[in-house]
Amino acid sequence: MTDAGLLKAAAAGSHAAFAEIASRHYQPVYRLAWRMTNGAADAEDMAQEAFVKLWKNPSQVREAGALKGWLMRVAANAVIDRSRKPRSGALDDAPEVEDPQARPDAPLDRAQAARLVDARIAALPERQRLALSLVYFEGLNNIEAAAVLEVSVDALESLLARARRGLKDSLSAEWRELLGGLAETGQ
Amino acid sequence: MEHVNNRSEDRETRAVLALASTPDIPGAAMDRLMARIAAEPQAAKVVAFTTRPARKAGFWRFATAVPLAASLALGVWLGANGKMDFIMPSAITGGVALNDDGEVDDLGGVGDAYAEAGTT
Repeated sequence: MTDAGLLKAAAAGSHAAFAEIASRHYQPVYRLAWRMTNGAADAEDMAQEAFVKLWKNPSQVREAGALKGWLMRVAANAVIDRSRKPRSGALDDAPEVEDPQARPDAPLDRAQAARLVDARIAALPERQRLALSLVYFEGLNNIEAAAVLEVSVDALESLLARARRGLKDSLSAEWRELLGGLAETGQ
Repeated sequence: MEHVNNRSEDRETRAVLALASTPDIPGAAMDRLMARIAAEPQAAKVVAFTTRPARKAGFWRFATAVPLAASLALGVWLGANGKMDFIMPSAITGGVALNDDGEVDDLGGVGDAYAEAGTT
């Protein structure tokens, strides 16, 4: 059944139809929330928030074809709202992603490289991180990503360009080494 | 040139981001989601108001214009024929208004002033 049919059935109160929607779209929405929360434990809550909002009123999704983008936008907004709320303690403000200590004399192994890249992505401004996640991790094209961010395609490309530059600058010391894997695989 | 730079920057970024962690979906996350969904009531169905069908413009829609038009026509006819001149001030219906060449004896107060001064 198409997303449109599932949405219609969910609007009529079908839990089975909603479970099918969730099974189709939960993973990308969760991954986006995880990336946006820098791997925080409440990424699941943020993803849930999007699905609960959908369940409460499925007819608010005007175009069933844009359901995935709609869910991602709601999850991203939930994360952004969360980040703007005053936190209970200073510890909460600490980045969730571990930033590995720089070890200039030792080559990075795969796990260290992953932690380093995660940490640098986490350090990017919110909207740049969101643009990067949508395009590079979730494979949305620029038009779809712009719709999720509710900006023009030009604005999205500008965000992506700044994100790429920011990432490269923050990883300038390791950039060549990280690209080493690329050279080995001949890409 | 900038386009080429963007493409190479894009390719390099993609390669570096491929090294980033990929989160595993927490076990039973879907079960927790569906349990929450089961506990959440759906919003009340919103029934949109249906707009009242537009009324067909019938002949009687213009009924009020008929007496107005008749009144206007009557006024024009009476005015043209001078039937109601007796109720009009002489300044409107008298010789001055009609631009008569003959002697005007109806200049009101102005005529009286001239007469007293013996200027007529």
